Amino acid sequence: MDEITGLEELMRKSMGGDKLAYTKLLRETARFLRPFLSKRLSFDSEVDDLMQEILISIHKARHTYDGQRPYKPWVYAIARFRLQDYLRMHYADQLRHAEELTGMEKNLQEDVTESGISYESISAEVEKLPERQAAILRLMHQEGYTDKEVAAKLGMTESAVKVAAHRAYKVLRQKLERQ
Amino acid sequence: MKDFEQLVAELANDAAPVKLAPHPYLLSLKWMGAAAVYLAVSLAVSGLRPDLAHALAQPLYIAEVGALLLVFVATSLSAALLAFPDLHQKRRLAFAPAWTFALFVLVILLAWRADSPPAPLPVHSFECTLSITLVSLLPAAWTFHVMRKYASTYYYWAGSIALLSAFSVGALWLRLHEVNDSIWHVVEWHYLPMLAAGMLGIWLGKVLLRW
Repeated sequence: MDEITGLEELMRKSMGGDKLAYTKLLRETARFLRPFLSKRLSFDSEVDDLMQEILISIHKARHTYDGQRPYKPWVYAIARFRLQDYLRMHYADQLRHAEELTGMEKNLQEDVTESGISYESISAEVEKLPERQAAILRLMHQEGYTDKEVAAKLGMTESAVKVAAHRAYKVLRQKLERQ
Repeated sequence: MKDFEQLVAELANDAAPVKLAPHPYLLSLKWMGAAAVYLAVSLAVSGLRPDLAHALAQPLYIAEVGALLLVFVATSLSAALLAFPDLHQKRRLAFAPAWTFALFVLVILLAWRADSPPAPLPVHSFECTLSITLVSLLPAAWTFHVMRKYASTYYYWAGSIALLSAFSVGALWLRLHEVNDSIWHVVEWHYLPMLAAGMLGIWLGKVLLRW
């Protein structure tokens, strides 16, 4: 297919109600968007989910495409918009989880003290974590720094520290549960 | 989430002929036409300033009203472009209000410098902001209503520009209605609130134009 005129032509036919052209167009759109999304997202499952959202958005907004201007910039504008939305929600979600876990972790600390588990007793596991995560937990639990102070010390944002700590707790919890 | 092929099949099944959105130039022309009629009717009801002939003899008054008119035209055009996901591939034009605002600020600065000795302040104050807001409500509601039919990917900007466009109609109406030569008053109670409305539009865009 001649891609320059092919996509625009397919879209024009789709707007006229041609289902076959629309099926082709959506498949072709997904084909060229996949590398764009893969570069920006970590997991294939995220790419698949977002791809579907983008295709639904294209469907909803197709009346704003007139068939006279290039198709790809129009599609990429929608894809970028949905990607930003997705990332914003994803990170807000992660931050919320991290905050919840920080709260939970504070409660857990009390339990740990009661059950006699100390930072020292799990420090070997902490050291096996990625360097930055280990450093964050060391600063927070061995040296008693707050999230804000750790962020300043490591040159990170407070939310990034919380997210990294959240990931570390998750890994630690899984490891401790297995033991 | 559904299987990809299943989703494509469902969307294709739903592919009935589509009524195309109008070209943004046409859309903005419609807005401008409607605003012109609305402005004319509002002025017919409220009355033109009695000293309009005298005011029109002052170059800075003409420049101010002209710049405000340009702000209105540019924001209408920009709002129409911002209603499309890809700005109808006319990105530069979508950001044209920045230039017209710069021109507007320059005119206001010139009028400020020329206001010597300062013209007497009118006895009223916030009533102007209130009047502009009331006159702007209808154009704002209509613009947002129309924009919601499309698919803005810059909804913050779109909301802000739409409100600025509506408020420039209100500001134009008051400059043509009120007998007032105080640039201080005009800046404080006409144009700064108009800018504040633009800020409010950022939030309104997020609430009303997300899709």
